Parts: sequence; C-alpha cells; structure tokens
Amino acid sequence: MIHLNGIAVKFGDFTALKDINVHVKEGEFFTFLGPSGCGKTTTLRTITGFIEPAAGTVVVKDRDITHVSIEDRNIGIVFQSYALFPTMTVYDNIAFGLKVKKLKKPEIDRKVREIAKKVDLTDEQLKKAVSQLSGGQQQRVAIARALVTGPAIICMDEPLSNLDAKLRVQLRNELKKMQKEFGITTIYVTHDQEEALTLSDRIAVFNLGRIEQIGTPNEVYNRSATEFVCNFIGDINRLSPGVAAELAKLSPEVDPAKHNYIRLERVHVGTEAKPGQLALAGTVESREYYGLYIKYYIRTADGVLKVIEKNDGVNIYDEGQQVTVVLDPKDIMAYAPEA
Amino acid sequence: MKKRFKLTDGLVLVLMLCLFVGFMLLPCLNTLTSIFNVKAADGTRDPLAVIRFFLAGNMKNYVFNSLKLAVCLVITVNIVGISIVLLTEYFDIKGAGLLRAGYLTTLIYSGVALVTGFLFLYDRDGILTTLLRNAFPNLDPSWFSGFPAVLFTMTFACTSNHMLFLRNAIRGIDYNTVEAARNLGAKPFKVLRTVVLPTLIPTLFSLTVMTFITGLCAMSAPTLIGYDAINPEIVRLAGSSAADESFPQARAALLSIILAFFTILLLTILTHYERKGHYLSVSKTKAKLVKQKIENPVANVLAHIYAYALWVVYMMPVVLIFIFSFQSYTAIKLKKIDFSNWTLINYFGTHDFEYTTPRGKVKQSVGAISGLFSNESALGGIKVSFILSVIAAALACVLVVLACNYIFKHRKTGTLVESLLLFPWLLPTILICYSYRIYFNSDKVWYTFGQNLYRGPNVWFLLILAYTVVKLPFAVRMIKASFYSIDSELEDAARNLGSGPLRTFLRVKLPIILPSVLAVFALCFNQLFSEYDMSATFHSSYATTYAMVIKSMTETDQRAYYNLNALGRQCASTVFIMCVSGLILYLVYGVGARDLGERLERRARREQRIARIKAKFAK
Repeated sequence: MIHLNGIAVKFGDFTALKDINVHVKEGEFFTFLGPSGCGKTTTLRTITGFIEPAAGTVVVKDRDITHVSIEDRNIGIVFQSYALFPTMTVYDNIAFGLKVKKLKKPEIDRKVREIAKKVDLTDEQLKKAVSQLSGGQQQRVAIARALVTGPAIICMDEPLSNLDAKLRVQLRNELKKMQKEFGITTIYVTHDQEEALTLSDRIAVFNLGRIEQIGTPNEVYNRSATEFVCNFIGDINRLSPGVAAELAKLSPEVDPAKHNYIRLERVHVGTEAKPGQLALAGTVESREYYGLYIKYYIRTADGVLKVIEKNDGVNIYDEGQQVTVVLDPKDIMAYAPEA
Repeated sequence: MKKRFKLTDGLVLVLMLCLFVGFMLLPCLNTLTSIFNVKAADGTRDPLAVIRFFLAGNMKNYVFNSLKLAVCLVITVNIVGISIVLLTEYFDIKGAGLLRAGYLTTLIYSGVALVTGFLFLYDRDGILTTLLRNAFPNLDPSWFSGFPAVLFTMTFACTSNHMLFLRNAIRGIDYNTVEAARNLGAKPFKVLRTVVLPTLIPTLFSLTVMTFITGLCAMSAPTLIGYDAINPEIVRLAGSSAADESFPQARAALLSIILAFFTILLLTILTHYERKGHYLSVSKTKAKLVKQKIENPVANVLAHIYAYALWVVYMMPVVLIFIFSFQSYTAIKLKKIDFSNWTLINYFGTHDFEYTTPRGKVKQSVGAISGLFSNESALGGIKVSFILSVIAAALACVLVVLACNYIFKHRKTGTLVESLLLFPWLLPTILICYSYRIYFNSDKVWYTFGQNLYRGPNVWFLLILAYTVVKLPFAVRMIKASFYSIDSELEDAARNLGSGPLRTFLRVKLPIILPSVLAVFALCFNQLFSEYDMSATFHSSYATTYAMVIKSMTETDQRAYYNLNALGRQCASTVFIMCVSGLILYLVYGVGARDLGERLERRARREQRIARIKAKFAK
C-alpha cells in the first residue's frame, strides 16, 4: 500500500531523517512512535507532501507520489490542533474539501450528512461554530473533514495530545472503533507508548531520525530490537553488574558482559522458583501502593530491582522484609554494549 | 523543503519598497536638504543661512513655546489622567460608572471638534464666559486665551490614552499584593504610593512620552485658540512666499526637522525602555481588584467633590453642545437656552433671515440659516472627508494585509518590510504632509508621470497618500498581531484538502483576521474623518475637509447676514462626529469582538424571541 524507500530529509545542514524504509499494508493501523524531535512528524509530513524529501521515494498503490502536489495525493490528515477553521460552522468545515472539488450542492450535502452520522455528529451540531463543541466533538469533526473526500489513507498527527487524560482514553477507543468500521489505512503519530501499544497493528519506533524497530506491539514490547526501544517503551529494570554476575553463575543464558534488561512484571516476589527460573535473595527497600498493583523496590546484591505484583491481598511485604526474587532468564533482553 | 519565491511575493516586496522610497524617504529627504539650499541675495548658495536666522531671530520662540507646552502638558495630563483612572477604578467613589462615561467622552470627539467645543464654552462670547461676566462684570472677556487656554483644553483632550491604557494596567494589578500590604500594616494611601503606583510606572512612562510628543506636535488647539507653537507656524510658513519674508520654505523645513528630531529621540528612548522588559508580571492566580474605600470622611468628601468637578469639566461641553445643537439662531447668539423652542434647523433645512438695515429698510437674506446637511460647504466637507478617509483607511488595510502575509512567509525580508511600514511612526505627521506639499508641488517628479500632485484636484491623491502612509504603522501593529492567531496547521489543512493559495487566503486566513482588519479600518476612518492637522498642512481649496469646514465656522462674518447659524452648525457637527465615532467604537469593540460561536448563539436567541412574539400574535 504505502512504501517509503530510503527517505532522507534535510533542513539546511540538519539531517532530520535518514534512510527511512517503511511498508504499510492496506487497512493497517500503523503508528510512528518516538520521543519529540525524533522525526516521526517529519515522516508523516513527507507522506502528505508538506515536505519534499532530499532522497528516496514515496510510493502509494504502486504510484510514485514523491513529487505529486499535496492536493493531488488523496491522503487525509488530522492535525494535532485539529486545525478546524474557526470562522466556519462545523458543516462548512466538513464541506470545505468537497467545495474545493467543485461538487454539486446536493451531493456535498448528502456526503457531509453521511459522514457526520458515521462519526456521531448530530444535525444540531453541524450548525454550530467549532468553538461551541467539546474537545472530543472537535476531534470527530476533524476526522469527518479528513474522511469526507474519500482519501485512500488517513494520517493523524498526535490527535489526542491536547486532551485531558480521561478523554484521551475514551477517544482512543472511539478512534480504534472508527478505524475498524471505515477499514481505512491509518498512519498515526504519537509519543505516548501506551497509545501506540493499544491502538496499533504495527509500530515503527523512531529515534534521532532513524527507525529503530518495526513490529507488532507485542514484538516491540517483549522483543525490543535495540536498547533504545526497550528503554523507551514501558518501564524496565536494567540489571546491575553484580546481579547479572550472580545470575550468570546460575544460568549460562545470562551474559554479564552485555546490558541486560527485564520487564517489571516478569520478576516475581515470594514465589517458588519453577524449573528453569532463577532465584535471588533480597530485602524490600520501599514500596509504592497503586491500588490495582503494588510496586516494590527490592535491594539485591549491588542493585535495586523494581517489581510489580497484583494487589490480590495475598502477598503484601513490608519494608525491610527479607524476600526471594524469582525470574526466568528467557525474559531477559540483552544488548551488546555500543563501542 | 525550500520555499519558492513566487511572483506575487516579489510584487508585494517591490510595491512596499516603492512606497517607502517614493512616498516616505524621498519627500522627507527633500525637506531635509531644502534647509541647506537657501540662496543669498546675490544668488550664491548659503547653506547655513536658515540656521543663522534661527539662532538670531524669534524662530526659537516657537520651539521654546512648543517645548513649554509639552512639558506642562505632561504634568497636567498625568495629574488629571491618573486622578480619573484612580477615581473610577481604584477608589470607591459613588457613581463610578457615570463618572467613567463622562471621562471617556474625549474618545468620541477630539481635535478640532473638541477645541471648538471648549471654545463654545470659554471663548469671548462663550456660554460660560457670558454667564461669568453677568456675575462678575470686571472679568476680562478674553480670559480664555493663549498658553493657559491651550494647556487647559489639551489637558482634557489628551487623557483618553490614560483612560484606555492606565485603566487596563490598574485592572491587571494582583489584589493579593494590596491585601498583603494592608495586612503588614500599611495605610491605604501608603499602599497606593508604594505598591500600586510603582507597578503602573512602565505604562505611565509610555503615556508620558506619548503626551510629550502630542504636546510638541499640537496643531488644532494652538491654531484655534491662538498660541505660537511649531506646527501652526510651519503651516503659515508653507503658505507664505519669499516676497513677504526671507526663505519661508526653508524655515518651515527646519522647524519640521526639529520636530522630527525630538520625536525620533523620544521614541528611541521609549522603545529602548520597553525592550528592557519593564512589563508587569502576569500571575495566573490573580485576584480581582476590590475598590478601596477612603476611610477618612473629609478626604472621602473631597475626593467626591474633585471627581464630580472633573466630570463637570468633561461633560459640560458635550451636554451644552448637544442642547445648543437643537436651539435656534437667536438662542445660540444670546447663549441662552430657550426651553420653549427646539429646532432641527442646525441639522436639516434652510431658513431665510429678515433684518433691518441701518437706513430702516427690511431686507431678506435668502437661506442665511441652514442645517449641517443642507449647507453646501458643510456637506461638501463631509463628502470630501468621507471619501478620502474611506479610501485611505481601506488602502492602508489592504497594503498592510498584503505586507503581513508577506512578513509571515519570508522572515528575513519580512522584517525589512515591517520596518519600512513602521517608519512613518518616527515622523511627525506634519513633516510628512509638509514634505508632500513641497516635494510633489512640481512636475519634475518622474514617478508621478509628470503630474504636479499638489496642483488643483490632484491634491486628493496627495491627501489619500498622506492619510494612508500616516496610518500604516498603526495598521501594521494591529493586523500583524491578528496574523499570529492563524495556526500554521490551518494552512496545511486547507492545502491538504486541495485548496490553492488564493482560496486558502480568502476562505481560511482572511476570515480569521477580518474582524481585526475591519476594526483597524473603522478606527483609521474614525480618526481621519475628523482629522484637521494634515489637511490644514496641505491647505488646499480643492480638498476642504470636514474639520477645515468646522474650523471655518468659527470665523463667520455675521455682518453680511449670511451663514448666520455657523455656531449652531458647528454644534451639530460635533454631535454628528460624536455619533459617528460612538457608533464605530461600538461596532469595533462591541459587535466586532464576537466570534462565530457568539454570533450563532445571538442569532439563535433572536430567532427564539421572534418565534415567541409571532406565537403571541398568532393567539
């Protein structure tokens, strides 16, 4: 569907993107994830045509669109600020693209009402000014405006970042539902890893203008390709040299010369070690109570391991208590230190 | 992606450069050089003749007089301006709303309209002078003249800036700081002096500089009341000829350059001071100012007396002019309100006037009494001012919108364009107008296609150009600010939806800035419509503006039994100007400030009301 082949973007002397290669499949929800300034929005803007790459090609459905003008690409976009035209009503905002295409009035009206119905906007709301709608409703207008012209692809540039936490989760679900209904290929940009993990079919993790890994949420989370990816996504323990050395004594699978990481939920406190699992002695240094779960900081050898335990009322440990920490060496992600 | 430099952008840049070079730089440089272009009696060039003349003769007095006026004005305007703001915003004075409305009246009439209004009260046969002379027969009828009269009139004319800007500053004060000071044991006046006033100093400094410049460049008050200041002298010299006195033009040029020197100096100080960042800190948890009650009963009574005395000074001209504009010729002549006889004759229609000659013959002067809208010259002035102001205000807006669109696209050359358009701010308007009058009064200026722009009806072009150029800095500041409210993603969104640059500009960007542009248009029109200083400098009979007509009404020759009710018409004119300005300010700050959401809500409410009324009638 979309192929980015060896894309490079330069702003003066600064290289914003180098050798970006991505293949997005038809109907896929594909996310560009990364910290701010990593190049994810630049990549998106290259696809929509706001930026012309210094090298490489953008191919959509076997057609090279690298140098096709923005308006002829048939790619919709939902902006971070939604970029709704403040001087137009909701109706006129949605109809804007159709009017540009010089469609007949009855057809415009039919299309606007059709898409409004699909994104749950009432006739009453269509007559309103954009400023009279809530954040969630504004987002739906932005999506309707992008979809009404029937684009092959829709791009979303951090569309949830301006909203409060609760609304963000609610709209995230709506967004996913809508994408499934429309079945439209979606490219989604975010720096929020939770958003990326819950929404995406596949994720490309960006860092410093390069792609570190492309994979499903599970691959990216549990089999992070690089040290950056495993650090950026989720919370993680980096095993201290002492702990790694101790574990290496117990299992040949652990290599203390590498940087070793393990996810918090893959370490357990106070359970029996099953075959293949390794056990370490430790002391509870402190704990944080979250309700749903409890996070323990456990001192072992020369480091502290963070552990998450479900708050099921069975295992609650106090500060200073001696405990056993159990983990499976297969859950350890190891990376050769960079030269 | 590299931004392509489009043809239209190039045209805008060239247009702005031409405007600057042709209509700002060259005329003003010509004025500057003309100072040194004086020929001595034997025909040789004598570059320093004017300077010598200046140092030796009485020309210095004009500069001294203007400086004296500016310095005194700074003191009196600050005293009155700070008082009226404190009385309406800081202290708990009964009837603050009414007081505020009175103090704000100078917003709706200024310049010639205001000065003639004051003269209507205080002049030789003014209402107040007549009243006072009835009580004190020894009073000098021309007590209101010269420097004190000019100072008095301008003091009240120039407080409108205090009411606008100082009021905002005082409203921005965090009330918690006042409470903290009170809590630490400070008395109310100590709080005022040590906590409140220091936070207002940046605003006061700007206001002081602006007032100083206003005083220095004063035109209508010195001209009408009679005071030898720089501006009226420049106008006089510009119209004088070398046959009457030595090198009048060079002297006018010198005076206008001196004015420009002072203005540039002061504005540089002001800009430097503002750059240093003496701005108020904006705390997010600001507490709203609670009005302070004056505890001491004597002080409280005195403050009330002072507040209402000032209010009377502000309101009296407005009220009396309004009343007298509906009075008959006789009532105005006698300066006595005739409560049984109200008339619209000062506004509409004409009357004949019967009189007896010294030989006892009864004669009739046809159409000697005529209303503002039936009087040919008044109507002509209104028409001229209306057309010139509309064109100039529109032109300034269009130029600035084009320029701002350019400024936001091209950062580097954009800064240049912006400075070019801000340039006239540094120059006194009289320098610009005087320079135009002299420079374009020739058919040798190549870019006017050999036309003498000062000759005959061509002067309209010159006035429009001058009006436009003078309003550019104001328009740039306001419209540029509104361009900041255009989210750059909006432009991207429109392009993504297939819209070309022209459609994006017309349908997306322009509607966003339109309220500001219309506001700028309205405010520019408002100021230009009753403008006197510039048209007086041009002093062309081919473009007699409204303000010039109003001014001429004060000089009617009543012996000819012609144009008898000039004073009544003058009152009507002032009322008319107040209505126009009031309407425009209401449209700009009331209606224009509403966004689409508010407008739709209002429309819905209106429709509901209409539906209710219809339903009632249906029953």
